[in-house]
Amino acid sequence: MSFRRPAAIIFAVGLVVIAAGTAGLLLTRHSTPAMRPVAAGLEALPAPTGPIVAAPQSAAPHPVAAPVSLTIPLIGVSTKLITLGLASDGSLQVPPVTNTAVAGWYTGSPRPGAIGSAIIVGHIDTVNGPAVFYRLHELRKGDQVYIRRADGTLVKFRVTAVQQYLKDHFPTQTVYGPTPDAELRLITCGGAFDLATGHYLSNIVVYATEVS
Amino acid sequence: MRFPRTIRRITMLLAAAALLLGVPAAVAAHASSTATGTGWIRLAHLSPNTPAVDVYLYSFGNSDAQIVLHHVTYGTVSPYEAVSAGDYSVAMRAAGASATSQPVLSTSVTIAADRAYTVAGMGPESGLRLQVLDDSLTTPSGKSLVRVIQASLKQQTVKFTCSCGGTLADKASFGSVTSYAPIPPGTWTMAAIGSSDKTSLPVTLVAGTVHTEVVLDGSNGLEILNLEDAAGAGLPPAGGVTTGFGGTAGHGPGSPVPWAALIGAGSLLALTGGLRLRRRGLGRQLHSEV
Repeated sequence: MSFRRPAAIIFAVGLVVIAAGTAGLLLTRHSTPAMRPVAAGLEALPAPTGPIVAAPQSAAPHPVAAPVSLTIPLIGVSTKLITLGLASDGSLQVPPVTNTAVAGWYTGSPRPGAIGSAIIVGHIDTVNGPAVFYRLHELRKGDQVYIRRADGTLVKFRVTAVQQYLKDHFPTQTVYGPTPDAELRLITCGGAFDLATGHYLSNIVVYATEVS
Repeated sequence: MRFPRTIRRITMLLAAAALLLGVPAAVAAHASSTATGTGWIRLAHLSPNTPAVDVYLYSFGNSDAQIVLHHVTYGTVSPYEAVSAGDYSVAMRAAGASATSQPVLSTSVTIAADRAYTVAGMGPESGLRLQVLDDSLTTPSGKSLVRVIQASLKQQTVKFTCSCGGTLADKASFGSVTSYAPIPPGTWTMAAIGSSDKTSLPVTLVAGTVHTEVVLDGSNGLEILNLEDAAGAGLPPAGGVTTGFGGTAGHGPGSPVPWAALIGAGSLLALTGGLRLRRRGLGRQLHSEV
């Protein structure tokens, strides 16, 4: 009997651990919104109106106006766009901590609607709660994104992919590198939050391509 | 005797757990190497004395064309079309010819994810060929990449220069394509000089862009067509972005890996305990039988 007890305890502990793991897995999976966010209704915005400029039909370069605002109806994002440059360490500037409700366009990237990958960055949260791109990860292939430009024209994009990358393995070429058509990259934080450094460990990147 | 068996079982279990946890990780790593699994293709007519053509793009093994460009004339370069990575064939037919008629020319092209290609009708009509060009989607930091396609039949050999201080092609023969040259950003004068004609064009190059300069026989002599093939951040930012302060951390779905590891560890414990129990039970049984 005294020989069997350790084995039985190990067995029982194993079962408890399995149960805990399964419960954790199910509970955390369950917290993911099961329905598309559009079902939230109140938070979904109407698509902005205005003439939508056709995607470039000629490969010859054509100038477009600078972006001024961003609307993503499905996740309730409607924000003006500020301009961002590079920080002294070569990383991308982000909107100031005092203004996390806006997103910004990296002026060193192509303008949205011109050939190339236009880069737009927003915060996922503040120390207290959600920021402009809190729901960015909910976007899926086919969802629509609108950019209003300084000349009043509207450019429409469709999401082609949503990826999460560890910051330690961020694919700069895929995200920032040249593309042969008019594309958008919407970037925010995601994944686990490292309490020690006060930073998220991953980035979420939404890829979108202009549609006419 | 029992020990090796137990060890073997545990080893197998560990291997199974590693496989279980490792496979999704490998899949995730693979997914991150390409964002969308698509590549790009564009079609061009660069044969001066070849009449207009209809150009068809077929996904390999599919007789229904995925893209059809009608009445494509000399000097036309289509915008890029995003297509799923895979094998394709490009066919050229005389403009207006039936879609089921025998093509004048066809070629196969393999499109890799995140890569761009130009399929161009090149050369004189008598020697028309479809050439697949690999288009660059990377640039040296802070630079532009420029290449030249010599598609003038009237000027068989062309010298192509840039006021940035370089010769992009010394003696480009008809139907040839140069490799890419890195050029600093700025507005430069590109010049094409043939044996009996020449032309120039101011071209603005922004860092992070890829350009193709096509030398053409225009209605008024030599012409340069400036194509912006691709554009990205001229000075690519270093790494990802720091865009969160953690106020909502933990509200998200989080990673399933720690939970899966917990389940794996639990299974290991349960199995170890279970094996011991069973062994002891078996031992007692044998004893009582003796």
